[in-house]
Amino acid sequence: MTSMVFEGHAVREQVCLASITALVEEHGDVAGALVSTVDGFPVAAHLRQPEAAPRLAAMTSSLVALAEAISREAHAGECRDLVIDGGTGRVLLMDVPQAGGKLLLTVLCAPTATLGQVLWAAQHCRRDISARLEATA
Amino acid sequence: MGPREYKLIFAGSMGAGKTTAIGAISEIPPVLTDVHNTDRGTHAKATTTAALDYGEVTLPGGDKLRLYGTPGQLRFDFMWQILAEGALGVVLLVDNSRPDPVDDLRSYLRAFRQTVAGSRAVIGIGRTESHPLPALEAYHAVADECGVTVPILSVDVRRRDDVLLLLNVLFMQIEAFESDLVEGVRA
Repeated sequence: MTSMVFEGHAVREQVCLASITALVEEHGDVAGALVSTVDGFPVAAHLRQPEAAPRLAAMTSSLVALAEAISREAHAGECRDLVIDGGTGRVLLMDVPQAGGKLLLTVLCAPTATLGQVLWAAQHCRRDISARLEATA
Repeated sequence: MGPREYKLIFAGSMGAGKTTAIGAISEIPPVLTDVHNTDRGTHAKATTTAALDYGEVTLPGGDKLRLYGTPGQLRFDFMWQILAEGALGVVLLVDNSRPDPVDDLRSYLRAFRQTVAGSRAVIGIGRTESHPLPALEAYHAVADECGVTVPILSVDVRRRDDVLLLLNVLFMQIEAFESDLVEGVRA
Protein backbone atom coordinates (compact mmCIF):
# COMPACT_ATOMS: atom_id res chain seq x y z
CA MET A 1 0.00 0.00 0.00
CA THR A 2 1.39 3.39 -0.95
CA SER A 3 0.38 6.74 0.45
CA MET A 4 0.76 9.83 -1.67
CA VAL A 5 0.02 13.49 -1.40
CA PHE A 6 0.01 15.78 -4.38
CA GLU A 7 1.24 19.32 -4.88
CA GLY A 8 -0.90 22.17 -3.68
CA HIS A 9 -2.15 22.99 -0.19
CA ALA A 10 0.12 20.97 2.11
CA VAL A 11 -2.17 21.14 5.16
CA ARG A 12 -5.22 20.04 3.21
CA GLU A 13 -3.32 17.11 1.73
CA GLN A 14 -1.96 15.90 5.06
CA VAL A 15 -5.43 16.12 6.63
CA CYS A 16 -6.97 14.10 3.79
CA LEU A 17 -4.18 11.54 3.83
CA ALA A 18 -4.53 10.96 7.58
CA SER A 19 -8.29 10.38 7.24
CA ILE A 20 -8.14 8.01 4.27
CA THR A 21 -5.20 6.09 5.75
CA ALA A 22 -7.28 5.49 8.88
CA LEU A 23 -10.25 4.43 6.73
CA VAL A 24 -8.21 1.85 4.82
CA GLU A 25 -6.29 0.53 7.84
CA GLU A 26 -9.29 0.23 10.15
CA HIS A 27 -11.58 -1.47 7.64
CA GLY A 28 -10.39 -4.70 6.06
CA ASP A 29 -13.05 -4.42 3.35
CA VAL A 30 -11.72 -1.08 2.14
CA ALA A 31 -9.00 -1.75 -0.43
CA GLY A 32 -7.98 1.84 -1.12
CA ALA A 33 -9.11 5.46 -1.01
CA LEU A 34 -8.48 8.72 -2.79
CA VAL A 35 -9.38 12.36 -2.23
CA SER A 36 -9.51 14.63 -5.27
CA THR A 37 -10.72 18.04 -6.40
CA VAL A 38 -14.09 18.45 -8.15
CA ASP A 39 -12.28 19.05 -11.44
CA GLY A 40 -10.30 15.85 -11.27
CA PHE A 41 -6.93 16.46 -9.62
CA PRO A 42 -5.70 14.02 -6.92
CA VAL A 43 -5.15 15.53 -3.46
CA ALA A 44 -4.18 12.45 -1.42
CA ALA A 45 -4.21 8.75 -2.17
CA HIS A 46 -3.84 5.52 -0.19
CA LEU A 47 -3.89 2.90 -2.93
CA ARG A 48 -2.27 -0.41 -3.83
CA GLN A 49 -1.53 1.07 -7.26
CA PRO A 50 -0.65 4.71 -6.61
CA GLU A 51 -0.09 5.35 -10.31
CA ALA A 52 -3.85 4.96 -10.77
CA ALA A 53 -4.56 8.09 -8.69
CA PRO A 54 -4.61 10.75 -11.46
CA ARG A 55 -6.92 8.68 -13.67
CA LEU A 56 -9.22 7.70 -10.79
CA ALA A 57 -9.41 11.38 -9.79
CA ALA A 58 -10.45 12.45 -13.30
CA MET A 59 -13.00 9.64 -13.58
CA THR A 60 -14.46 10.46 -10.18
CA SER A 61 -14.84 14.08 -11.26
CA SER A 62 -16.70 13.07 -14.45
CA LEU A 63 -18.97 10.57 -12.74
CA VAL A 64 -19.93 12.83 -9.84
CA ALA A 65 -20.58 15.73 -12.25
CA LEU A 66 -22.77 13.45 -14.37
CA ALA A 67 -24.60 12.11 -11.31
CA GLU A 68 -25.30 15.69 -10.26
CA ALA A 69 -26.70 16.45 -13.73
CA ILE A 70 -28.98 13.39 -13.45
CA SER A 71 -30.07 14.44 -9.96
CA ARG A 72 -31.00 17.88 -11.30
CA GLU A 73 -32.84 16.35 -14.27
CA ALA A 74 -34.80 14.02 -11.96
CA HIS A 75 -35.42 16.77 -9.36
CA ALA A 76 -33.76 14.43 -6.86
CA GLY A 77 -31.99 17.19 -4.97
CA GLU A 78 -28.28 17.37 -4.33
CA CYS A 79 -26.30 14.23 -5.18
CA ARG A 80 -24.19 13.12 -2.24
CA ASP A 81 -23.14 9.49 -2.81
CA LEU A 82 -22.70 7.27 -5.82
CA VAL A 83 -22.29 3.48 -5.51
CA ILE A 84 -20.80 1.49 -8.39
CA ASP A 85 -21.77 -2.13 -7.93
CA GLY A 86 -19.23 -4.24 -9.79
CA GLY A 87 -19.07 -8.00 -10.17
CA THR A 88 -15.90 -8.24 -8.10
CA GLY A 89 -16.06 -5.15 -5.91
CA ARG A 90 -17.75 -1.88 -5.21
CA VAL A 91 -16.62 1.70 -5.63
CA LEU A 92 -18.12 4.50 -3.55
CA LEU A 93 -17.93 8.10 -4.74
CA MET A 94 -19.01 10.92 -2.47
CA ASP A 95 -18.53 14.62 -1.97
CA VAL A 96 -16.67 16.08 0.99
CA PRO A 97 -18.13 19.48 1.90
CA GLN A 98 -15.63 22.13 2.97
CA ALA A 99 -15.59 25.89 3.10
CA GLY A 100 -13.13 26.43 0.24
CA GLY A 101 -15.07 24.36 -2.29
CA LYS A 102 -15.90 20.69 -1.87
CA LEU A 103 -13.58 17.74 -2.46
CA LEU A 104 -14.44 14.24 -3.68
CA LEU A 105 -13.78 10.92 -1.93
CA THR A 106 -13.33 7.65 -3.85
CA VAL A 107 -13.40 4.41 -1.85
CA LEU A 108 -12.45 1.07 -3.41
CA CYS A 109 -14.08 -1.88 -1.63
CA ALA A 110 -13.18 -5.56 -1.59
CA PRO A 111 -15.69 -8.04 -3.05
CA THR A 112 -16.47 -9.25 0.47
CA ALA A 113 -17.54 -5.78 1.63
CA THR A 114 -20.99 -5.29 3.09
CA LEU A 115 -22.43 -2.18 1.47
CA GLY A 116 -23.91 -0.73 4.63
CA GLN A 117 -20.69 -1.24 6.55
CA VAL A 118 -18.40 0.44 4.01
CA LEU A 119 -20.90 3.24 3.34
CA TRP A 120 -21.01 4.00 7.04
CA ALA A 121 -17.20 3.96 7.25
CA ALA A 122 -16.82 6.17 4.16
CA GLN A 123 -19.40 8.66 5.44
CA HIS A 124 -17.55 8.78 8.74
CA CYS A 125 -14.32 9.48 6.81
CA ARG A 126 -16.05 12.27 4.87
CA ARG A 127 -17.25 13.93 8.09
CA ASP A 128 -13.78 13.49 9.60
CA ILE A 129 -12.09 15.26 6.65
CA SER A 130 -14.65 18.11 6.70
CA ALA A 131 -14.25 18.59 10.46
CA ARG A 132 -10.45 18.51 10.38
CA LEU A 133 -10.29 20.93 7.45
CA GLU A 134 -12.65 23.28 9.23
CA ALA A 135 -10.43 23.13 12.31
CA THR A 136 -7.33 24.07 10.26
CA ALA A 137 -9.07 26.83 8.28
CA MET B 1 -37.87 7.11 -44.19
CA GLY B 2 -38.56 8.83 -40.88
CA PRO B 3 -36.49 11.61 -39.36
CA ARG B 4 -32.90 10.66 -38.69
CA GLU B 5 -30.81 11.42 -35.64
CA TYR B 6 -27.20 12.46 -35.90
CA LYS B 7 -24.68 12.39 -33.10
CA LEU B 8 -22.08 15.13 -33.37
CA ILE B 9 -19.30 15.94 -30.95
CA PHE B 10 -17.56 19.18 -30.06
CA ALA B 11 -13.92 18.76 -29.02
CA GLY B 12 -10.92 20.98 -28.37
CA SER B 13 -8.87 22.51 -25.59
CA MET B 14 -10.18 23.87 -22.30
CA GLY B 15 -11.74 27.29 -22.89
CA ALA B 16 -12.06 26.86 -26.68
CA GLY B 17 -15.84 27.40 -26.43
CA LYS B 18 -17.41 23.94 -26.67
CA THR B 19 -19.98 24.60 -23.94
CA THR B 20 -20.66 28.08 -25.35
CA ALA B 21 -21.15 26.74 -28.88
CA ILE B 22 -23.69 24.10 -27.79
CA GLY B 23 -25.47 26.65 -25.60
CA ALA B 24 -25.66 29.07 -28.58
CA ILE B 25 -27.69 26.70 -30.76
CA SER B 26 -29.40 24.09 -28.56
CA GLU B 27 -33.19 24.28 -28.54
CA ILE B 28 -33.36 22.56 -25.15
CA PRO B 29 -31.64 23.90 -22.03
CA PRO B 30 -28.23 22.23 -22.39
CA VAL B 31 -27.25 19.49 -19.95
CA LEU B 32 -24.11 20.77 -18.26
CA THR B 33 -21.55 19.10 -15.99
CA ASP B 34 -19.67 22.25 -15.04
CA VAL B 35 -17.53 22.11 -11.92
CA HIS B 36 -15.34 24.61 -10.11
CA ASN B 37 -12.01 25.04 -11.97
CA THR B 38 -9.15 24.70 -9.46
CA ASP B 39 -6.45 24.94 -12.15
CA ARG B 40 -6.39 28.69 -12.73
CA GLY B 41 -2.80 28.43 -13.98
CA THR B 42 -3.97 26.68 -17.13
CA HIS B 43 -7.10 28.76 -17.66
CA ALA B 44 -8.59 31.67 -15.74
CA LYS B 45 -12.22 30.65 -16.17
CA ALA B 46 -14.28 29.84 -13.09
CA THR B 47 -15.76 26.52 -14.20
CA THR B 48 -14.87 23.64 -16.47
CA THR B 49 -16.76 20.71 -18.03
CA ALA B 50 -16.04 17.47 -16.13
CA ALA B 51 -18.07 14.93 -18.10
CA LEU B 52 -20.05 16.28 -21.05
CA ASP B 53 -22.39 18.93 -22.41
CA TYR B 54 -25.51 17.91 -24.27
CA GLY B 55 -27.83 19.86 -26.52
CA GLU B 56 -30.32 19.22 -29.34
CA VAL B 57 -31.20 20.93 -32.60
CA THR B 58 -34.04 19.92 -34.93
CA LEU B 59 -33.36 20.57 -38.62
CA PRO B 60 -36.09 21.98 -40.92
CA GLY B 61 -36.75 18.50 -42.43
CA GLY B 62 -37.31 17.01 -38.95
CA ASP B 63 -33.93 15.36 -38.56
CA LYS B 64 -32.43 15.83 -35.11
CA LEU B 65 -28.88 16.68 -34.13
CA ARG B 66 -27.65 15.41 -30.78
CA LEU B 67 -24.71 17.57 -29.77
CA TYR B 68 -22.16 16.30 -27.26
CA GLY B 69 -19.42 18.51 -25.84
CA THR B 70 -16.30 16.84 -24.46
CA PRO B 71 -14.14 17.96 -21.52
CA GLY B 72 -11.03 19.65 -22.95
CA GLN B 73 -8.26 18.48 -20.63
CA LEU B 74 -6.16 15.43 -21.44
CA ARG B 75 -6.89 13.89 -18.03
CA PHE B 76 -10.48 13.40 -19.22
CA ASP B 77 -9.47 11.55 -22.40
CA PHE B 78 -11.46 8.47 -21.33
CA MET B 79 -14.59 10.62 -21.87
CA TRP B 80 -13.42 11.43 -25.40
CA GLN B 81 -13.51 7.74 -26.32
CA ILE B 82 -16.90 7.23 -24.71
CA LEU B 83 -18.45 10.27 -26.39
CA ALA B 84 -16.90 9.66 -29.81
CA GLU B 85 -18.54 6.20 -29.99
CA GLY B 86 -21.07 6.30 -32.83
CA ALA B 87 -20.45 9.97 -33.63
CA LEU B 88 -21.07 10.92 -37.24
CA GLY B 89 -18.87 13.99 -37.20
CA VAL B 90 -16.76 16.23 -35.01
CA VAL B 91 -16.41 19.99 -34.60
CA LEU B 92 -12.86 20.73 -33.42
CA LEU B 93 -12.53 24.11 -31.73
CA VAL B 94 -9.18 25.81 -31.25
CA ASP B 95 -8.42 28.83 -29.05
CA ASN B 96 -5.91 30.98 -30.94
CA SER B 97 -4.87 32.75 -27.71
CA ARG B 98 -3.39 29.56 -26.22
CA PRO B 99 0.42 29.15 -26.01
CA ASP B 100 0.63 26.62 -28.88
CA PRO B 101 -2.80 26.33 -30.53
CA VAL B 102 -1.41 24.60 -33.63
CA ASP B 103 -0.10 21.79 -31.45
CA ASP B 104 -3.48 21.68 -29.68
CA LEU B 105 -5.09 20.95 -33.05
CA ARG B 106 -2.51 18.26 -33.80
CA SER B 107 -3.34 16.51 -30.49
CA TYR B 108 -7.10 16.59 -31.00
CA LEU B 109 -6.88 15.48 -34.63
CA ARG B 110 -4.94 12.44 -33.39
CA ALA B 111 -7.24 11.78 -30.44
CA PHE B 112 -10.37 11.89 -32.64
CA ARG B 113 -8.77 10.33 -35.70
CA GLN B 114 -11.44 7.65 -36.09
CA THR B 115 -14.20 10.25 -36.45
CA VAL B 116 -11.98 12.65 -38.37
CA ALA B 117 -11.15 9.84 -40.83
CA GLY B 118 -13.25 10.32 -43.92
CA SER B 119 -13.00 14.07 -43.29
CA ARG B 120 -16.19 14.11 -41.21
CA ALA B 121 -14.87 17.12 -39.33
CA VAL B 122 -14.74 20.88 -39.36
CA ILE B 123 -12.24 23.04 -37.52
CA GLY B 124 -13.20 26.37 -35.96
CA ILE B 125 -10.44 28.74 -34.87
CA GLY B 126 -11.56 31.18 -32.18
CA ARG B 127 -10.24 34.46 -30.73
CA THR B 128 -8.55 35.37 -34.01
CA GLU B 129 -9.68 38.99 -33.68
CA SER B 130 -7.54 39.52 -30.56
CA HIS B 131 -4.92 36.92 -31.59
CA PRO B 132 -4.55 36.93 -35.41
CA LEU B 133 -1.52 34.62 -35.30
CA PRO B 134 -1.01 31.77 -35.99
CA ALA B 135 -2.72 32.26 -39.37
CA LEU B 136 -5.09 29.67 -40.83
CA GLU B 137 -2.29 28.39 -43.11
CA ALA B 138 -0.50 26.96 -40.09
CA TYR B 139 -3.60 24.89 -39.25
CA HIS B 140 -3.96 23.70 -42.83
CA ALA B 141 -0.35 22.52 -42.66
CA VAL B 142 -1.11 20.47 -39.52
CA ALA B 143 -4.22 18.96 -41.12
CA ASP B 144 -2.11 17.99 -44.16
CA GLU B 145 0.53 16.53 -41.87
CA CYS B 146 -2.19 14.39 -40.21
CA GLY B 147 -3.48 13.34 -43.63
CA VAL B 148 -6.91 14.97 -43.34
CA THR B 149 -8.60 17.45 -45.65
CA VAL B 150 -11.13 19.39 -43.62
CA PRO B 151 -12.47 22.95 -43.76
CA ILE B 152 -10.89 25.40 -41.32
CA LEU B 153 -12.85 28.53 -40.43
CA SER B 154 -12.30 31.51 -38.20
CA VAL B 155 -15.31 31.69 -35.85
CA ASP B 156 -16.75 33.32 -32.76
CA VAL B 157 -18.80 30.57 -31.10
CA ARG B 158 -20.70 33.11 -29.01
CA ARG B 159 -22.49 33.97 -32.27
CA ARG B 160 -25.25 31.52 -33.09
CA ASP B 161 -24.77 32.08 -36.83
CA ASP B 162 -21.10 31.13 -36.59
CA VAL B 163 -21.94 27.83 -34.87
CA LEU B 164 -24.66 27.10 -37.43
CA LEU B 165 -22.12 27.81 -40.18
CA LEU B 166 -19.76 25.24 -38.63
CA LEU B 167 -22.56 22.66 -38.56
CA ASN B 168 -23.59 23.39 -42.15
CA VAL B 169 -20.04 22.91 -43.33
CA LEU B 170 -19.73 19.72 -41.26
CA PHE B 171 -22.90 18.38 -42.89
CA MET B 172 -21.48 19.01 -46.33
CA GLN B 173 -18.44 17.00 -45.25
CA ILE B 174 -20.61 14.17 -43.93
CA GLU B 175 -22.75 14.07 -47.08
CA ALA B 176 -19.65 13.95 -49.26
CA PHE B 177 -18.33 11.08 -47.10
CA GLU B 178 -21.62 9.17 -47.36
CA SER B 179 -21.89 9.61 -51.14
CA ASP B 180 -18.29 8.38 -51.43
CA LEU B 181 -19.34 5.32 -49.44
CA VAL B 182 -22.32 4.69 -51.72
CA GLU B 183 -20.16 5.05 -54.81
CA GLY B 184 -17.63 2.71 -53.25
CA VAL B 185 -20.35 0.07 -52.78
CA ARG B 186 -21.56 0.50 -56.39
CA ALA B 187 -18.07 0.30 -57.86
